[in-house]
Amino acid sequence: MKFKILKAIDVAGLQMLDPVVRLFYGETPREQLRKIVLFIVIPVLTIILSVLLWSYLAPRHTTKAGEVPTPGVVLDAARGIQQFHTWENQKADDFLLTGEARQNALAAVDTRIAELTPLSVAAAASVEEAKATQQAYREKYATPLEAEYKQLRNDLKAKEDSQEEALIAEADTLGVNDVAARQAYLKKVAAFDAMEEANKETLRAFKDKIDAVYSEKFPVLEAAQTTYNTIEAELQYLSKRRDYLTADNQELKIASAQIELKELETGFLSATTGKETFKAAERMLKKQESIDRIATSEYSRPWTFPRQIWRSLACVFLGFFIATAIAIPLGIFCGLSRVFMAALTPFIALFKPVSPIVWLPIIFIIVGGFISDPDVSMFHPAFLSSAITVALCSLWPTLVNTALGVASVDKDHINVARVLRLGLVSRLFKIVLPSALPLIFAGLRISLGVGWMVLIAAELLSSSEGIGKFTWDMFNNGSSESFAQMFVVVFVVGIVGLVLDRIMIVFQRLVSFDGAPTAL
Amino acid sequence: MRDQRYVEIFNLVKAYPNPFGEAVKVVDGFNLTIQKGEVIGVIGHSGCGKSTVLTMLAGLNDISDGGIIVDRREIDGPGPDRAVVFQSPCLLPWMTAYQNVMLGVRKCYPHASKQQRRVITEYSLSAVGLADSMHKHPRELSGGMQQRVGIARAIALKPKVLLLDEPFGRLDSLTRMELQDVILKILDREKITTMMITHDPDEAVFMCDRICMMTNGPRARVGEVMTIDFPRPRDREAILETDKFYAYRGRLLQFLDDCEAEKHGGGPIRFNPGASEEKQSATV
Repeated sequence: MKFKILKAIDVAGLQMLDPVVRLFYGETPREQLRKIVLFIVIPVLTIILSVLLWSYLAPRHTTKAGEVPTPGVVLDAARGIQQFHTWENQKADDFLLTGEARQNALAAVDTRIAELTPLSVAAAASVEEAKATQQAYREKYATPLEAEYKQLRNDLKAKEDSQEEALIAEADTLGVNDVAARQAYLKKVAAFDAMEEANKETLRAFKDKIDAVYSEKFPVLEAAQTTYNTIEAELQYLSKRRDYLTADNQELKIASAQIELKELETGFLSATTGKETFKAAERMLKKQESIDRIATSEYSRPWTFPRQIWRSLACVFLGFFIATAIAIPLGIFCGLSRVFMAALTPFIALFKPVSPIVWLPIIFIIVGGFISDPDVSMFHPAFLSSAITVALCSLWPTLVNTALGVASVDKDHINVARVLRLGLVSRLFKIVLPSALPLIFAGLRISLGVGWMVLIAAELLSSSEGIGKFTWDMFNNGSSESFAQMFVVVFVVGIVGLVLDRIMIVFQRLVSFDGAPTAL
Repeated sequence: MRDQRYVEIFNLVKAYPNPFGEAVKVVDGFNLTIQKGEVIGVIGHSGCGKSTVLTMLAGLNDISDGGIIVDRREIDGPGPDRAVVFQSPCLLPWMTAYQNVMLGVRKCYPHASKQQRRVITEYSLSAVGLADSMHKHPRELSGGMQQRVGIARAIALKPKVLLLDEPFGRLDSLTRMELQDVILKILDREKITTMMITHDPDEAVFMCDRICMMTNGPRARVGEVMTIDFPRPRDREAILETDKFYAYRGRLLQFLDDCEAEKHGGGPIRFNPGASEEKQSATV
């Protein structure tokens, strides 16, 4: 049992859990504890340390988009994203609910609204209260300062005006072409300008003092505002839900349309003149059509972040699949034939370093040429071009590794094939491919990693729905909340990439006859 | 006549170009005739070209000049009629022992039924004593057991000639003795024509019908061929007690010493007056 667990951990690439299991079975506790400290405690400590450092540094740098979010804010943003997702899903469900289920849901929504309404009122009151406190504070500190500021400004203005007049008066006395006197006068004017500048600076400094009072933080107000906003957001969501459970519900919409249809039908049956009958018939058919449309329609869900993650994954796997389908056969040919290798080497060398940013526009145009109407095609052109870009950037490691693996089959194994006079096909499938498989999978693993990295950039450029587009939308959105959401993206991309890599390691270990000790 | 000259190696030459573009003859004028069912040993110092001769016979190495005839046909490239057991087992690590043997069986018996192939494979694995671990992967087997699989793979092909290239070179002496017995038993039963390369005189005397002693390379050739006159099947203990064994062994060692001495200018090789025809043609 113990060794089964250890083996499973090993294959899954979770070697850090190995000492925990061993300790659990009481094997050399000192040694295992040392390993636990090394593989678990130290990484966890570093993570905690960096989070602390982050929370210390973040509020100390203010940007145009507000403060750099602290870990707490980022966590809130993540929750917000998740809530948006569940709410949208709920609405989509509500739209399709029928009969008793709809009634029950409606009752639940109404209860919740009844619960929240008084809370909302209370929250609004406390916001008002906090605002009043803020107003009082401002009046107390800012109003005298403002008066002082006005006074100061007037004083300085008066002084400047009088000096200016004096200077103009002096200028009248200057003799024409009296160079020395005019030079001295020039200096006086310069001194006057400098004084003006200095005054402005004084005023600005004073103004900053007033601004500081205004921008003084009121945590109470902020907290009240947040509470109020949260409750309001939920109320708004509930009222939307209510709509989807009543007037906008699919079933009810169809029912009401059906009633209208019935009326139209009676109108049609009782119509007397030819013109009327014709019109009534047309109206009736149109109604029928609209009923059919409603019956097949769905709630138009927006692209929430979790859905975009899935979409990105689909895109990266499509690209990865294309890359594999191209790279492995090509790599095998390269490995088997020197001629083929020589023919392909310049292309590999030339295209390998090309950035996805360059590929994407080209591919976008080419793909666009094939797909004239995005609505009827199986893939959205943006999605397809992102996937192809991923494929073009990620096929190289697989190609090179496959070629290497096929070319470097153990000479002894080749001799076995020669002695047995194996044909090309069985030589390929019995000897060459199995022996190249570990290297091929090592290449696939690198490819998938590269693909995932490239994908985000490709989506960002092509506006294909996915993580990249989400980031770009958040960047353009520019509120402080979207800043935090971009941080969430960093972690999501990192975690998904990590999981993909781990999965590939498992595959790599499964196909490796030597256990792939280098796959870490 | 046909059985007398089952394998004929005549005037075999292997030349490699040196960095100056001149051909260096590693083996030059190697002549040997092997009877059907005979076990012939090739002994010589390391680097003298023993393995080169064997790989040429196997077809894995190109022949520069001369020719090799096996069963009245000149060989051209490798083939399953000349099965090789290499110094390292050369098993395919992604296949079990059974699959490794089956790979060859499938190739050599294309018209046999599944059942027949299975019987052949299992028979040859049992013959080398691996009946219990035929479904293990090579990495789960010890070095000696891996070599047994290699032997099983070779004999399963029912080859005309079995080529053993220092098959026990990498094994410890206990395992080596075990495997020598295994092979002897198989050879006694199957009567396969065999060429075995070794640099162990005891092994050569114990296992072979004739021993071909090669001079030192470059330009290595057959120095002398000695007939070992022990009856088959052979019994190790009985043979070890005979004086003949020590005489044969002494002769082999003397030859090997002389080769070494000649290389360092210590005098000519003393050839046995009763040497066979190969020796004469070699000295021409």
